[in-house]
Amino acid sequence: MTHRITRKEDLNAMDYLIEVEAPMVAERFQPGNFAVLISVPQGERIPMSIQKVEDGKITMFIKRLGKTSIELDCFEVGDSLESVIGPFGNPPEVKRYGNVVFASDLVCGHAENYALCKALQKIEGNHVISIQTFPTKDDVYPTEELSEAVCDEYYLTTLDGSQGIKGHYNNLLKDLLEEGKVDIVFAGGDIPALRDLAKLTEPYDVPTIVTVRQIMIDATGMCGSCRVFVDGEMKLTCIDGPMFDARKLDFKDIINRLSMFKKREGEAMEYYKSKTGAK
Amino acid sequence: MEETDKIRVPMREQTAEDRVKNFDSVPLGYYEEEAMAEAQRCIRCKDPACETKCPVNMKIRAMIEKIAEGRFKEAFLIAKEDNPIPAISGRVCPQEDQCEGVCTMGKKADAINIGKLGAFLGDWAMRNGVTEELHIEARDKKVAVIGSGPAGISCAVDLRKLGYQVTLFEALHVAGGVLQYGIPAFRLPKDIVDYELSYLQKIGVDVRLNHIVGQNVMFDELCREFDAIFIGTGAGAPRFLKIEGEELMGVYSANEFLIRVNLMKAYDFPEHDTPIVCGARVGVIGAGNVAMDAARCAVRLGAKEVYILYRRTKRESPAREEELQHALEEGVIFVELVNPTRLLGSEDGWVKGIELSRMKLGEPDSSGRPRPVKIEGSEFIVELDTVVNALGTVPNRLFLDRTPELETTSWGGIKVDENLMTNIEGVFAGGDSTSGGATVIQALGEGRTAAASIPDYLSGR
Repeated sequence: MTHRITRKEDLNAMDYLIEVEAPMVAERFQPGNFAVLISVPQGERIPMSIQKVEDGKITMFIKRLGKTSIELDCFEVGDSLESVIGPFGNPPEVKRYGNVVFASDLVCGHAENYALCKALQKIEGNHVISIQTFPTKDDVYPTEELSEAVCDEYYLTTLDGSQGIKGHYNNLLKDLLEEGKVDIVFAGGDIPALRDLAKLTEPYDVPTIVTVRQIMIDATGMCGSCRVFVDGEMKLTCIDGPMFDARKLDFKDIINRLSMFKKREGEAMEYYKSKTGAK
Repeated sequence: MEETDKIRVPMREQTAEDRVKNFDSVPLGYYEEEAMAEAQRCIRCKDPACETKCPVNMKIRAMIEKIAEGRFKEAFLIAKEDNPIPAISGRVCPQEDQCEGVCTMGKKADAINIGKLGAFLGDWAMRNGVTEELHIEARDKKVAVIGSGPAGISCAVDLRKLGYQVTLFEALHVAGGVLQYGIPAFRLPKDIVDYELSYLQKIGVDVRLNHIVGQNVMFDELCREFDAIFIGTGAGAPRFLKIEGEELMGVYSANEFLIRVNLMKAYDFPEHDTPIVCGARVGVIGAGNVAMDAARCAVRLGAKEVYILYRRTKRESPAREEELQHALEEGVIFVELVNPTRLLGSEDGWVKGIELSRMKLGEPDSSGRPRPVKIEGSEFIVELDTVVNALGTVPNRLFLDRTPELETTSWGGIKVDENLMTNIEGVFAGGDSTSGGATVIQALGEGRTAAASIPDYLSGR
């Protein structure tokens, strides 16, 4: 099966989107599922959030961060990836929640924000509020890739206040919680911000479900690399998650484990640059 | 018997000093004349116990007879009749407990080196491009085989040879199951695995990679689409220790450690993308084949000291003799009669040591082995920077959780009858998914048994 790239565009200086043929993933996708990509035969298996699916194609948001994402960025429309596998994960039920918020501040979270808001908005009785946070106005994604079109109430925030509301989604959420207009919060992105979110919503007793990004290999429950502790019980992000009850998660452990291969990732990057002359 | 006939023709292998620097095969294989000389030692028993003891009942005597005469093609075709992957089983079978363990020669001298002769034939055929000439008469019934490990391979091959339309579903991006992700290249070179598996496609098995039954293909879809199903999903999920400190960085399940190294080729990082972090002092918990594999990988990844930490003694180790021996030759240190009680971490979240209790051997338990008993107050600490937990595996719940209609045993294995049929009509299972952690050859054997039952089921017998 070929996985041809059909669209590739910059979202901002760091993030880009890639649309790729993956009929099996597209056919069975549910919002909150993720895909696993292998870009080249010697490549790693990397989990990737899916923003949307259309005509046998899936769109993913990717940050130019490590070797694989930089290498993928060198692919052009018409090129094929080695494998696009999935969908993976055990996504939340798409049902009536009432006033539901999805908040995000990083690439993978923004993709899930779009996918989940779009699905939840179609359910009668839901009032879907989307909040997306970017560092500055220069980092804000093109309008058509934001969740604005797929929700009932939309807030854009920038950390420096250069566009939209000033501050992080957590600042804005506090106000919404105070107003008592939130029944459930979903969120994805930066892990420390999710930890803060868990603390923020606790006094209001609002259920808070967050997406955990953890290091994975097979994504089928075999390796145990993506283990997290939920109320002290070991769960696997790949098959039990990636969404968990934020208040039950051990965030310190998640943040630690995400850094396990930092040094190696740097080495891979250096090696790739020396081999290809990439910057 | 001549004195010289009492001794096996030794197989050349890389010296311990050389091989710890690479992931190449440790045994270097027999030359043709060496294989013939070894085969000529066989006394051709009237009722060969080796064949009865073989889980796939290979016609070992006839095979060895042909090798002795230098008729390798005929020998290969005899091997292949009962065993689709002789080059693999010859390398990884616990022969000392099977064919070689009951070899008549073994009573007075060295048993015939049956495993290595099987591997020789597989390699010889690969080198010389010799394959079976099959005339498959197509039948219209369709069979799905889930999992492309040893059980799935043998079931798929046997059914295909009978003419059924066989589709093999594999969750990973390469076929082979444990042969790819579990067993390291120095024990089972991956070019040999790839070659042996290419046979599946050659005979017309439809191999579908990246198909995860229960995740992106639903079991009930398969039930509707196929006339029979064989489940060979293995026991691919890790068991954890459930002790303090398992969240620490530097703590791996043996599955993760081996998947990184074998499947993703982390030993060739950064040429291959997937990394591994292996420290200077490595503790491997457990003493089975998987533990030996992990320990020997750690040696090759540059660890200075590698410990096998086992609650019984070497004598009770479930590992193959050859693996244990090779590990010891490579400098792995076997620590007997210890049991982990907790893992110790540093400020920044990395494992820095393990607390162990001393054990003593008590009365035999249900496995017949002496039960290890904790010596109270004997705890001590060993400094480590990598811990690999090789406590064994259990069937993957991803598949089982999503097929609740399938009856399982108390430990999570799939329940089957004597024909390997599950509680669902037309759905069969075998290999580690029903037996827990067994051997490649046992799984091959069960795949064959199921492949023999399925035609009866399909024809309404």
